[in-house]
Amino acid sequence: MKVAFFLALTIAGALGATVAAALGVEPAIFSGALVVAFVGLAGAAASAAIALHAPDDLTEPRVQRGPSAPSPLPDEAVSRGTFGKLWFAAIGAFAVLGLVPVISLARKPGRRSVTGWRAGVRLVDAENKPIARDRLVNGGIETVFPQDGIELPDAPAVLIRVPPYLLPAAGNAPAAAAAPDGYLAFSKICTHAGCPVALYRHESHELYCPCHQSRFDVLNGAKNLSGPAPRPLPRLAIGVDAEGYLIASGDFDAPVGPDDWDRRL
Amino acid sequence: MIVPRVVSWLDERLGTNAGARYLLKKVYPDHWSFYLGEFALYFFITLVGTGIWLTFAFDAAGTNAYGSVLELANRAHPIGYVMRQVHHWAAVCFVAAILVHMGRIFFTGAFRKPRELNWMIGFTMLALASFTGFTGYSLPNDNLSGTGLRIAYSVALSIPVIGRWAASVFNGGDTFPGPLLTTHLYTLHVYYLPIAIATLLAVHLFLVIYQKHTQFVRDPRVVVGRRFWPDYALRTIAVLGSTAAVLALLATFVEINPIEAYGPYHPWIATNGAVPDWYTAFLEGALRLGPATEIKIFGHPIPPVFWPGLVLPLLVFLFLLAWPFIEQRITRDLAWHDVLDTPTQVPLRVGVGTALIFDGLLLTLAAADDQTSAALHLRLETLVWVYRVLLLVGPFIAGALAARIAAELRARIRESAVYPSDATTIVRNEQGGFEEEEPQPA
Repeated sequence: MKVAFFLALTIAGALGATVAAALGVEPAIFSGALVVAFVGLAGAAASAAIALHAPDDLTEPRVQRGPSAPSPLPDEAVSRGTFGKLWFAAIGAFAVLGLVPVISLARKPGRRSVTGWRAGVRLVDAENKPIARDRLVNGGIETVFPQDGIELPDAPAVLIRVPPYLLPAAGNAPAAAAAPDGYLAFSKICTHAGCPVALYRHESHELYCPCHQSRFDVLNGAKNLSGPAPRPLPRLAIGVDAEGYLIASGDFDAPVGPDDWDRRL
Repeated sequence: MIVPRVVSWLDERLGTNAGARYLLKKVYPDHWSFYLGEFALYFFITLVGTGIWLTFAFDAAGTNAYGSVLELANRAHPIGYVMRQVHHWAAVCFVAAILVHMGRIFFTGAFRKPRELNWMIGFTMLALASFTGFTGYSLPNDNLSGTGLRIAYSVALSIPVIGRWAASVFNGGDTFPGPLLTTHLYTLHVYYLPIAIATLLAVHLFLVIYQKHTQFVRDPRVVVGRRFWPDYALRTIAVLGSTAAVLALLATFVEINPIEAYGPYHPWIATNGAVPDWYTAFLEGALRLGPATEIKIFGHPIPPVFWPGLVLPLLVFLFLLAWPFIEQRITRDLAWHDVLDTPTQVPLRVGVGTALIFDGLLLTLAAADDQTSAALHLRLETLVWVYRVLLLVGPFIAGALAARIAAELRARIRESAVYPSDATTIVRNEQGGFEEEEPQPA
């Protein structure tokens, strides 16, 4: 009786789900019908198993599978001594040959850094609009790109405006010279694992990576303060063009993103 | 009826009835913990079923991967919504089920001779399942998984000597994200990895049948239990039905991986408090706790992500893969074992298992150290150091403590078996009844 009830549930649920799918109703109704179908199936199987009252006492002998008896056939001459070793060497040679197609899949150097930054390139926002020198207030932050280069992988930089009087006090002379109106720019790609260093704490002038919590000191050349990042964020020196828009005075001062074996510093 | 005719048609040509009869009448031992692996099996079957459907909805060329998944995330598409949600839930449950199943195998010593090979196959499947999960989670090209891929790319780059080759094979280009990245992930996720898992699964199940199932203490010369058909088959159908019911429930009422909230991947966007699927969280935690030092060998840098991102998981993998042999070395026990240990009876295994679980949980917890430090009003740097110390010292303390408890439990059981302290003697009297004998003064 119980089994019949649960099987009826299964049939109702499965057909219900089919109808629900055909009518294109809410996922909750379709899925609810599925749940009914599967609960019915589980219930039917479980109550049938209980109804069987099968005692847990059947036995089956265990067999020890190994070791095999030695073969009565004689070993062939080709598998002995030097021949055997040569067979293995031949197979090994094919394995070495197999490395060729594997290596050919990757082209060395296998990594290129495309920043798009050169002297004179305008800083733009995510809509490719140039950044005027009055864009940010002190403590402000914006993600910037080289003009027409928003999708370039190593291009993203953070533009931060700090009160200019803080910069000489930090004792970082080139920082002040290349920071018109207190504007500073650093690569947004973390030197640890390549995440975007997206957060800025303006009271402590720290950039903060949301992935692995590296902190960088903005007033001190984005030096890595704590967290797993091994080196400072590369710095982008900036200037102002004749029309009052921010421009780069060159590329980043260090390679962008995490290092690798072939990147000598 | 059609079924008997098909059966005898096949038997006339192939002689299949003998084998079928053997399989249907095979005796399986029954214990609740033996069903854990079956949950994993049914999650896998669900994954293959829903996954095949999803291949027809996904833009594998990668030009509109995000958009094609976004359509499925829309509740106006009920089938697509349920398919995708069930698929993702089944994936996270699959890895969990394998892990719990392996815990059972580990603590009961089911991996001992002659079943070392099946332990290694099972453990390889766990690694493959995690990797398949990661490639699938990365396919929609949403911002959360894209950031995860960027981290994985950095880890691949960090390998000494061959880093650039490895990263470029995976990335399919010289800059991240490479033009072939989605296509590579898709091929891995849909062909190579699931076929590898399915093949290993077939060998795994064959070996369970061929070597027969282990069992808690009963007669070691025989398997004691019930027949496959109909007793055991009904039980396993009940497991299948309840697995599917739970997945359908979760899929509808608990949204997982809402990519519509994350947005498409852009290398310059990241959000705070983002966490990956649970089984990769321990790696994320390890990356957060890892040192910042970049060592140099002949002027070549070894980036800091190399140690926590690659060396650590590789060492854990090799250690667990080799565990049956390590244990044999320690215990010098090379005997044939069809009978399971009660978990608390083997202090060594309890200690090692507890130590591993401790570090696994700690690293997973460390993947949320920013939220934890905010909630506890602790400086993040302080918390990181607490975790680092706990990571290195904690497993020894937790392991030793657990081993000690197990040793005491074992001693107590042995004592009570030899001479129970509260033992009394029951004697039968002349009327046929039973009475307790008065304790004799010592």
